[in-house]
Amino acid sequence: MTEFAETSKATSPVVECRGVQRIYQQDSVPVYALRGADLTIHAGEFVSLAGPSGSGKSTLLNVIGGLDGFDAGSVTVGGVDLAALTPAQLAQTRLHNVGFVFQAYNLIPVLSARENVEFILQLQGVASQQRRSRADRALRSMGLAELGDRRPGELSGGQQQRVAIARAIVTEPVLLLADEPTANLDSKTTSELLAVLRDLNQQQGMTIVTATHDPIVMEYTSRQVTMLDGEIRQDDGVTA
Amino acid sequence: MIRLAWRNLQRNKARTWLTACGIGFAVLLVSFAMSLQSGSYEIMIDSATRYFTGHGQISTDDYIEQPRFARTIANAESLQATLEAIDGLTVFPRVQAFGVVSKDEKSLGGMILGVDFAAEREQLDVYNNVIAGQVPDASDQALIGAAMARNIGANLGDEIVVLGSGKQGSVAAAVFIVAGIVETGQVELDRSLIFAPFASVADAFYLADEAHMLVLMLNDLSRLNDIAAEVEAQLPESLGLQTWQQLMPLIEQSIELDKAGGYLFFSLLLILVTFAVVNTFVMGLFERTREFGLFMALGMRPWQVIGQVQFEALLLSLLGVLLGLALAYPLLVYLTSVGIALDQVGGEEVSRQMQMGSMSRIYPRATWPSMTTAPLVLIIGTQLAALVSTLRVQGIRPVTALRAE
Ligand SMILES: Nc1ncnc2c1ncn2[C@@H]1O[C@H](COP(=O)(O)OP(=O)(O)OP(=O)(O)O)[C@@H](O)[C@H]1O
Ligand SMILES: [Mg+2]
Repeated sequence: MTEFAETSKATSPVVECRGVQRIYQQDSVPVYALRGADLTIHAGEFVSLAGPSGSGKSTLLNVIGGLDGFDAGSVTVGGVDLAALTPAQLAQTRLHNVGFVFQAYNLIPVLSARENVEFILQLQGVASQQRRSRADRALRSMGLAELGDRRPGELSGGQQQRVAIARAIVTEPVLLLADEPTANLDSKTTSELLAVLRDLNQQQGMTIVTATHDPIVMEYTSRQVTMLDGEIRQDDGVTA
Repeated sequence: MIRLAWRNLQRNKARTWLTACGIGFAVLLVSFAMSLQSGSYEIMIDSATRYFTGHGQISTDDYIEQPRFARTIANAESLQATLEAIDGLTVFPRVQAFGVVSKDEKSLGGMILGVDFAAEREQLDVYNNVIAGQVPDASDQALIGAAMARNIGANLGDEIVVLGSGKQGSVAAAVFIVAGIVETGQVELDRSLIFAPFASVADAFYLADEAHMLVLMLNDLSRLNDIAAEVEAQLPESLGLQTWQQLMPLIEQSIELDKAGGYLFFSLLLILVTFAVVNTFVMGLFERTREFGLFMALGMRPWQVIGQVQFEALLLSLLGVLLGLALAYPLLVYLTSVGIALDQVGGEEVSRQMQMGSMSRIYPRATWPSMTTAPLVLIIGTQLAALVSTLRVQGIRPVTALRAE
């Protein structure tokens, strides 16, 4: 897996989607969630994925992150063809190379903020002393140094999302995927969280893709992509 | 992982404690009942064997097949001495003859039993039921059944004459003075039994260093199998050992029957509790679909999720089992030393049945099976229940699970 990560950052694009289709069967009626999406993302980009509800933003993020399968086309992440991976290998990819931040229900409610961050390192098999210091470092970088011992229920929505980001980056993934991370936040907290993501992108070079409804997100990202009916409609970074 | 499991249990404290208490209660009840059961068998066996029959008897094989007067054990004394060398074993001889018992003009058929009064008194309870006089202590004294005494009109101090046929058809005759009257509670025996000193009976019936049986009594009945094997190794070809199971097959059968009934009851109880546990546990698991989805989205494999839940289940059942044993064990230790009065447990019926013996209290006995059966069944049951209800995580798709609001 480390080998995988190194090659990815150096040469090929981090993400490459070609003609990706995803068809859901709903009551035996096919629903085209993705109907031929093409998207290339390079290391260090901060991409916003906009578009109306049902346009396929979440589906595309899930496909890229190896959470969901696809029915046609190709997806490579860090030069690896996801179609060729077994479920176990996909799980490994998620664990080691991709960080996820979801819209809601990101954290394990019975664990403290620090334990939530440590949890994923534990899954990776990192020794407990290292876990602790790495988790603390990640929490500190999210401005949560003081709140490590609190449970999710004792944190505000914005703080919870920052814990989720800390957990997503503590494994040093090649790619951070966020699906409407600000949807449940007020506008002030939204701006704060977006600033955190932008800093992460600019200072650490983290490649980030975030799906959003909120136009304000576009003010922070380096590239705006818009989806409609399961396709990429507009992409201001397509020249890159 | 332990921490996560523990925290998950604490998440719904009421449910966890309720489930643990359910498990604990079942453990308490079943361990207690099983211990009581094995304690009561011990009492049954003990009081039955200690009454008259003994824990085991040695006779010649053909006497076992059909008891005839001539079928005696030869060299009885040296065999007795050899066997008494075995640790924890007491041996005493008996001769048994039929004859006519007369007092004045009245005569009756009876069974004359030659016994070692000193030895038997220490071991057997039948001698506690002497209702008049005392156990004989001289060579010309006898102890006779109450009904026989009534029927031939014999009182304490009266002379009775015993006539029978001795070895090789010779006429055997003896005169005894009635020293005591015994009421065994069994009509048959009370009507026909005469106990007299072993040596006197053997002399009168022309037996020389012979006996019809050697009765075996153990200090500790639980060592029966070992000691029986040792005894059998010492026996000549022509002799056989019968243990109480063969001597009193009805007791053994009724114990087996009772055990089977007990197992049925315990199984039902355990199954019920297991279902209750399954129910609460499964309800908890269904609420956690999103959490399992999150686990897998983060890169956990389904089997890891199942393992995590197995761990929770184990913690839960251990909690319950410890709770149950923590209550059951001191209770049993206490009752094992104090005993439970029989009339308190089963009323008159039970105490009457047990009255044959001198025991009036049951001492529960905590054995390995009685203390481990319920815990093992419940632990395994909980694991299986948790397993069956988490197998579905293999079908959970993280995307769908996390979507559910
Ligand atoms: N598991 C599923 N089963 C059936 N249909 C699905 C499933 N997931 C998504 N869809 C459908 O696929 C289409 C795209 O959904 P998707 O969630 O990707 O849209 P979105 O752009 O993320 O929308 P939103 O802005 O509301 O989050 C929708 O029509 C949706 O109903
Ligand atoms: Mg969406």
